[in-house]
Amino acid sequence: MLPEFDLVMPRSLNEALQVLAAGSPEVLPIAGGTNLTVDMRSGRYEPKVVVDIEKLPELKGIRRENGQICVGGGVTIAELLKDGLVAETAPVLKSACALFANPLIRNRATVGGNLVDGSPAADTAPSLLALDAEIELTSQDGKRRLPLDEFFIHVRKTARQPNELVTALRWALPKPGTGSAFYKLGLRKADAISVVSVAVVLEAEKGVCRKARIALGSVAPRPVRAKNAEEFLTGKLLKKEVFEEAAALTAQAVSPISDVRASAEYRRRMSAVLTRRMLEQAAEQTGWKE
Amino acid sequence: MSYVGKSITRIDAEAKVKGEALYPGDFNLPNQAYMKILFANRPHAIVKRIDTARAKALPGVLAIFTAKDVPVNEYGLIMPDQPVLCGPGSSKPYADRVRFIGDQVALVIAENEEIAAQARDLIEVEYEDLPVLTDVHQAMESTENLLHPDRGSNVFCHYRIRKGDTEAAFSQADVIVEGEYHTPVQEHAYLQPEAGIGYIDEEGRVTIVVAGQWTHEDRKQIAHALNLPEEQVRVIYPAIGGAFGGREDMSIQIVLALATWRLSQQGINRPVKIIWSREESIIGHHKRHPYHIYARWGATKEGKVIAAEVKLIADGGAYAYTSTKVLGNATLMCTGPYEIPNVKVDSYAVYTNSIPNGAFRGFGGPQGAFAAEMQMNKLAERLGMDPVELRLRNVLREGSLLSVGTPLPKGVSIAQVVENCAKRAGWKQTSNGWEFDREKHPSLKLQKSNLRRGIGFACSFKNVGFSFGAPEQCQATIELRGKGEIEEAVLYHAGAEVGQGVHTVLIQMAAEALGVPIEKVRLIASDTATSGDSGSVSASRMTFMAGNAIRGAAKLALERWRNEERPAVGHYQYRPPRTTPYDPETGKSEPNFAYGYVAEAVELEVDIETGQIRLLNVICADDVGQAVNPQLVQGQIEGAVVQAAGYAILENFVQQNGEVLTRGLSTYLIPTVLDIPDRVESLILEYPDPIGPFGARGMGEMPYLPLVPAVASALHDATGVWFNEFPLTPERVLFGLTKSEE
Repeated sequence: MLPEFDLVMPRSLNEALQVLAAGSPEVLPIAGGTNLTVDMRSGRYEPKVVVDIEKLPELKGIRRENGQICVGGGVTIAELLKDGLVAETAPVLKSACALFANPLIRNRATVGGNLVDGSPAADTAPSLLALDAEIELTSQDGKRRLPLDEFFIHVRKTARQPNELVTALRWALPKPGTGSAFYKLGLRKADAISVVSVAVVLEAEKGVCRKARIALGSVAPRPVRAKNAEEFLTGKLLKKEVFEEAAALTAQAVSPISDVRASAEYRRRMSAVLTRRMLEQAAEQTGWKE
Repeated sequence: MSYVGKSITRIDAEAKVKGEALYPGDFNLPNQAYMKILFANRPHAIVKRIDTARAKALPGVLAIFTAKDVPVNEYGLIMPDQPVLCGPGSSKPYADRVRFIGDQVALVIAENEEIAAQARDLIEVEYEDLPVLTDVHQAMESTENLLHPDRGSNVFCHYRIRKGDTEAAFSQADVIVEGEYHTPVQEHAYLQPEAGIGYIDEEGRVTIVVAGQWTHEDRKQIAHALNLPEEQVRVIYPAIGGAFGGREDMSIQIVLALATWRLSQQGINRPVKIIWSREESIIGHHKRHPYHIYARWGATKEGKVIAAEVKLIADGGAYAYTSTKVLGNATLMCTGPYEIPNVKVDSYAVYTNSIPNGAFRGFGGPQGAFAAEMQMNKLAERLGMDPVELRLRNVLREGSLLSVGTPLPKGVSIAQVVENCAKRAGWKQTSNGWEFDREKHPSLKLQKSNLRRGIGFACSFKNVGFSFGAPEQCQATIELRGKGEIEEAVLYHAGAEVGQGVHTVLIQMAAEALGVPIEKVRLIASDTATSGDSGSVSASRMTFMAGNAIRGAAKLALERWRNEERPAVGHYQYRPPRTTPYDPETGKSEPNFAYGYVAEAVELEVDIETGQIRLLNVICADDVGQAVNPQLVQGQIEGAVVQAAGYAILENFVQQNGEVLTRGLSTYLIPTVLDIPDRVESLILEYPDPIGPFGARGMGEMPYLPLVPAVASALHDATGVWFNEFPLTPERVLFGLTKSEE
């Protein structure tokens, strides 16, 4: 059963920020509500006031902006999945959206909501980390931008303050020679919380890796990057042995737990296997053949 | 035949598709009150004290009932070993203890659900915890820690089969295969969680509208606990959102009737409504039994199985439910549909503090079949013999003796079913016997370095109807209305429509038996006030039993019609040939009066780096005797295969020390449409059963039985590794493969 609460329906971002301004943990924003209503039913959150931000125009839209892609925090997963610009410039995110929960949930859940929930298993997080995305947080005091990597802190803990909303996500347009890949290992093909997910973005020139991003979900208290493996890859020729090594380094970078879905050991092994596979797939897309 | 054998549209299809069909939770009556149940939420304890004062004081609370309010505080389908409500002041000894987390302690009835839930949380219960037993082996040995102290042992059922001389036979065997198997718990996960509404009807009967599988047995158990004559209790089933055996035992039936009745005694004549959440459903009803099975089989190099020794231990959980009957089935099925001259089986059902286990599609058959078919496939490998050929050298034939020393009823078709399935899957009969040439099956070739493909085979048999001497009967009444010609034929029948389509089938059989157009047949179903006892929808029995009852009723009604009686009413009670229980020493018995026969071939693909399995193709050949409605038969086959596929590779019910860690469908995963096999081919075979109505056999369970061993055999074909335990989750598969490399 849902506990009782007041529902505020602001007409603009400013109005919403005003309601949130006091920074009370008892005032919570709601967009698609696919996490929050479940958490309210279970008693995890008991807000006194719920602020409906679902229809705020300022949180909508997917556009090009100064050499970047800018996505509003209130854009739904289904909108991301259908968008041509996302497909063209961030296929790694599109792949993640395609495996996000189920079509009904995708129609309601928003990318901002997926991130602020602070789940290590958030399906869009690894891809956005691998894209080096920046997150924009807005309060009545103004806007601030920070790398998504600095946004995640721990399980259900992010850098978002109670008076802030996620207004946008931004990432750079891909350079020529970019390849990417995403895989979600779940215990079934839809409606499953990931056991391990891996997103990879590679930039290469004549087969030499210029920049690598490897990000994983469900293998640490927050979505993580395998920075040791990224550094290792930089400057290396993209080939099988290098991928194996990077995969092994990735397995060292993660700190999974055992739970009802899988053991820590299985997650660690899958981190390596899936990273290797995603590196192979991404490398192929850079246009380089060994 | 005009109607039997036709895929007419099911009579409930339109209402269900449009959302118009009413399920138990959809019923609302004026002035209804709401009920919430306080569950124990601890696995083993004595209830020392229940204080309801604070809860009762909450405005809006109408009543709270505890153990002392239950006239006869016990129930159980086979043996009454479970308190209706656990706590002090019970009318039965040891009913003051809770034995699993889903035991019910108190009932709160209030103006609305919120108040009822609030009041439930205000009830103070003082428990004295008892040691928690969850390991069957420990439970078997324990003499001090007894779940039911009045029984003297945690082992509550033991069967023996002794046929021939297994020791002597093993000494003559050329190969001996030993295996230790473990099968998992499975949750029914029906779409509709338990729900219902109770009221006092116009004739003063305590009436409940619920979902179940046997109206008259529900009524009997309610009447027993309430100490009322059965006629004072009425049970009605509306549309039912799935059952699969999970509604055979009581969940809300008795407590809903109790609350309605006790309220009315207090002068509060209000309907009472309850809907369980998914979590309450998962902890509140029984599951499929996990089994430990130890098997040792011997065969000659000619491929004749000459000896089988099997020991089975079933975890019954906290209460017996149908364990003794499920165990009976597993005991018979664990040596497969084979004629084995020397057999020794010992089987046990054991109490633990886990959730009780009971009826679930297949009813012990899947567990027995897993062990039997694994043993057969391993024997085939050891003998270097094709698994289909090995089966055909051993399958039961007309007149062959079962392990229990008697022949099967006439109409044995397992050999034909195996051959049909094998042929369809690509096996060929050659001068050397049946063979499968892998080279000629490009679909089994590898696609990528990390993928392997394999094919596996298994077969089975499933009883139709109650077994081992259990009283078995089914009633039907037909009323023919009209003057010169029959204008309407009304069929009164209690059989439960749980989604399988049986109401459509009943009407088809009635139209056929009466020779009237099907539009003229009307069914009044599933109400103890209007129908005689039909027995349960379980044991694949309803088409078979009801068909024979309907034929009898139709014949009588037509006779009376010809004698000019108006309306002409025929009532008939069908009783099948009698069965007999296991002899306590030798197991000798006539276990069943009818069977269905089934074989399956499975092709799968496994990712050897991640352990993920994809089922590519399932061919399921079923001898259904006569498909009354082929489309519904196909639905049953596909549904059973999908459910068994979940059991095989996905569904993982996790309990730890009596607690359930998978309390919702986000952690207990069942297959989505994307997870089911890529292809399921139903091969419907019709070798008539000599005593089945129109030749029909029951078939709702049998497609379930051979799937898991066929999957395990395909996985072995793909990887060379035998998996003796499932579900075959990615992790189990990967670690199993890695272990075999070491």
